[in-house]
Amino acid sequence: MEVTLTHYLALAGVLFLTGMTGFIVRRNALIMLMCIELMLCAVNIVFAAFSRLHGDAGGHIFVLMNFAVAAAEAAIGLAILVEIFRRRRTVNVDDLKALME
Amino acid sequence: MEGFLFWFCGGLMVLGGLMTVLQRNAVVSAVWLVFAFINAAGIFAALDAPFLAVMQVLVYAGAIMVLFLFVIMMLQEPTLADERRLLRLPLWPAVALPPAAVIVLLAGWFRESGTSGLGPAPAAGFGGPEHIAGLLLGRYVLAFELISIVLLVAIIGALAVGKDERKLPWK
Repeated sequence: MEVTLTHYLALAGVLFLTGMTGFIVRRNALIMLMCIELMLCAVNIVFAAFSRLHGDAGGHIFVLMNFAVAAAEAAIGLAILVEIFRRRRTVNVDDLKALME
Repeated sequence: MEGFLFWFCGGLMVLGGLMTVLQRNAVVSAVWLVFAFINAAGIFAALDAPFLAVMQVLVYAGAIMVLFLFVIMMLQEPTLADERRLLRLPLWPAVALPPAAVIVLLAGWFRESGTSGLGPAPAAGFGGPEHIAGLLLGRYVLAFELISIVLLVAIIGALAVGKDERKLPWK
C-alpha cells in the first residue's frame, strides 16, 4: 500500500491528539510543556508533508520557524516553572490556583 | 524505502508520544519524548527533507530536551505523588470529543483520496542545506530576521523571569 498524504496527516493527527490529551489529563506542569512540544512536532510533519506534495520547500522554512518558536516557548515556560517552584515548592497545576481564588 | 521509513518511524513515534503521556515519572517521560523526536527525524527523511531531519535531532532532541531534563533534575520532584489517576467527570467530554471528530474526518479522507501518492519525486537537492539556505536568505529573509527578534525577546524574558528580582537593573 502506497504511503499517501492522508497517511502523514493521520500520523500528525494522532500525535497532536496524544499531546492534547496529555495536556488536559496530566497535572505535572513539566509534562504539560512536553505535550505542547509533541503537538508542535505534529504540526511540523503536516508542513513537511504538504511541502513534499507541492514540491515547494517553503513549508520547510515554516518548520524551521516552528523550531525557533518551540525553543523560545521552552525557554520561557521552563523559566516561569523554575520561578514558580522556587516560591511554591510544587509544579502540580492543581495547587497553582492563586488567580482563581 | 519511503513506505518502510513511514511505518517504522511513524509507529515508534506514536509509541513514544503515548509513553510520554502515560509515564508517571517526568524523567522517563522526557526520554520517551526524545525517542519520539528522533523518529520524527525519520519521518522528515521519508518526506525528502534531509535538512529538517538533521535539525530535528540537533535542535529538538538535542537542545530543547536537554533543557527539559536539566530543569526536571533541578526541581528534584520528577514524580508528583498526588497526581490524579483519573479525571474529574466534567473534563471527559473535552478529552473524548476531539479524537472522535478526528477519526470521523480521517475516515472520510481515506475514502476520498486513499489511493493517490505524494506525486513525482522532487528534483535532486530538494530540502537540502543549499536549497533551504537559498530560500531562507532569499524569499523568506524577512521571516528569518523577525524570528531572530523572537529568540532575542525569549532570551531577555527568560533572564528577567529567572533572575533575582532585587538585582534587576531597573529596581
